Amino acid sequence: MTSVGSRSLGERKLPPYIPLLFPAVAFMVLMYIWPFVSSVLQSFLVGKGQPSLANYVKVWELYRKDIVFTFGITLFNTALTGVVAVIFSVYFRIRQNRISALLSAIFKLPIFIPFVVVSQMMNSFLAPHGLLNTALAQLGIVNLEKPLQLFNFAGLSFGFAWKQIPFAVLIIHGGFQMIDNSYIEAARSVGAKMPSIILRVLVPMNKSSIIVALVLVYSQIIGTFTLPYMLIGGKVPTTITVDIAHRVNYFRDFGVANALGVCSYIMVLFTAAYYLRSKIREARQEVSG
Amino acid sequence: MNRILRKSAELALLVLVFLIVIGPMVSLFLWSVAQKWYWPHPLPQAITFDYWAQALGLKTSLAIGAVSIVSAFTLSLLIAAATVVIAMAIAIPAGYALAKYKIPFGTIVLFLFLLPNAFPQQPVFVNILQLFTRIGLAGTVPGVMLIHILVGLVYGVWITNATFRSIPPSMEEAARSVGATAFKAFYRISLPLAAPGLFSSAVFVFLTSLDEFTGTFFIGLPFINTLPLTLYSSSGYNMQFASVIALILLVPSVLFMLLIQKVLKAEYVGGMG
Repeated sequence: MTSVGSRSLGERKLPPYIPLLFPAVAFMVLMYIWPFVSSVLQSFLVGKGQPSLANYVKVWELYRKDIVFTFGITLFNTALTGVVAVIFSVYFRIRQNRISALLSAIFKLPIFIPFVVVSQMMNSFLAPHGLLNTALAQLGIVNLEKPLQLFNFAGLSFGFAWKQIPFAVLIIHGGFQMIDNSYIEAARSVGAKMPSIILRVLVPMNKSSIIVALVLVYSQIIGTFTLPYMLIGGKVPTTITVDIAHRVNYFRDFGVANALGVCSYIMVLFTAAYYLRSKIREARQEVSG
Repeated sequence: MNRILRKSAELALLVLVFLIVIGPMVSLFLWSVAQKWYWPHPLPQAITFDYWAQALGLKTSLAIGAVSIVSAFTLSLLIAAATVVIAMAIAIPAGYALAKYKIPFGTIVLFLFLLPNAFPQQPVFVNILQLFTRIGLAGTVPGVMLIHILVGLVYGVWITNATFRSIPPSMEEAARSVGATAFKAFYRISLPLAAPGLFSSAVFVFLTSLDEFTGTFFIGLPFINTLPLTLYSSSGYNMQFASVIALILLVPSVLFMLLIQKVLKAEYVGGMG
């Protein structure tokens, strides 16, 4: 009698994961999903809520150069990061000596430095009379009367590369370490030279971690506000993130800001889809395995 | 000969990478102690630690600029501490539930915590600003804390989830089979085993809050000045203070991340600040 009673009580009780998950899920719905959906909806509204494409017309008229600039800097830096990070990761995988150990320790530093600090560093380092220009002038490479102007595409790329290449190396090198030495030895025993071992054995076997690194780098660069804001600010051309801040801070124009936001969503659509799909697949495998 | 050539090429690479990585940091340090630094001098002409002294509250001098760092630092630490407590209180149960239960719609829940990493967050902050302005949370400490909790919660859930996943379910089942309640099994078995992972996750959430810029910029300005925002506002006119603040933010980030990096997945650490 008591056992039946307690069981039916148990059946009426909520499954335990509901109260455990509820606070986090509720918080995310209120603080993330709602504003996210609202950013998309509001980009199609003007005035007191009439549906319109006026915000996008304004984006096209005022900011198409910045959209191209953002896309350009993102593609350029993702490609640069990809090439350089793969080269260094391969180097760290193949050469294990004191020099490579030192190098890989130095490479860890930028990863852990927050973007806001990186921005300030670059702000002083890349300035017309900053440390980079004066150092290059000492070497006779730069004339300080005409210093390198770096608060633009070049300097922004330097900043992104400085921070993102070590981050990509961390992920990609992790992937290379999973590849057993026997594969390299097998390729070598059939007469393969190092370049072809790298291109035809190591890189293909590590494709997934290279793609993950590049997907993360790509979407981070598009979404980064601090570095372009502190380095380029309102100069033209600048990035979408800076434009959004100007639209909001100077004009309280949330419609155009949101339309710019949707443009940045569209730019990451493919990388976001790839990221979400691979993470969900990974989580499912962990559950079943 | 070939060997020597290769070794010197490697050394040259080492020096080049070292200079590129360390250069911006050296620039930051030099500026933080520069009293006089006019070009074309490669190094500051006069050195002072007054900016450090003033930043740390040891000295008050209006002559070198009246940037209040102590209050911003205190505020940042308080916000970060509160953020850790609240975010972890929400994240630990969620991470545990995702690790231990088969949840219908589990994929949708996972999705929810992945989205902020997949899409730019700035448009979300902009819309939270609109919402917060309506309900009076914009420009307030609780409003900024909510933003920091949002940023930290996602990482908190993922790291605690991975931590609890690594504990074999048989441990808790054994405790349950000798009569422990579900809560007791969690409290006495899983929680102590998970402690290092949970601690790392809390440290990480603390650092994301300490370094958070973009969300605070929209929600907090102009009333709430955390350390990163003080850094930003002084960088325009007082290079020395900006550099001191940047170094104050840099040191704990690098030290703690080096401590906890083993527990973290590589991809978490890229998007900070």
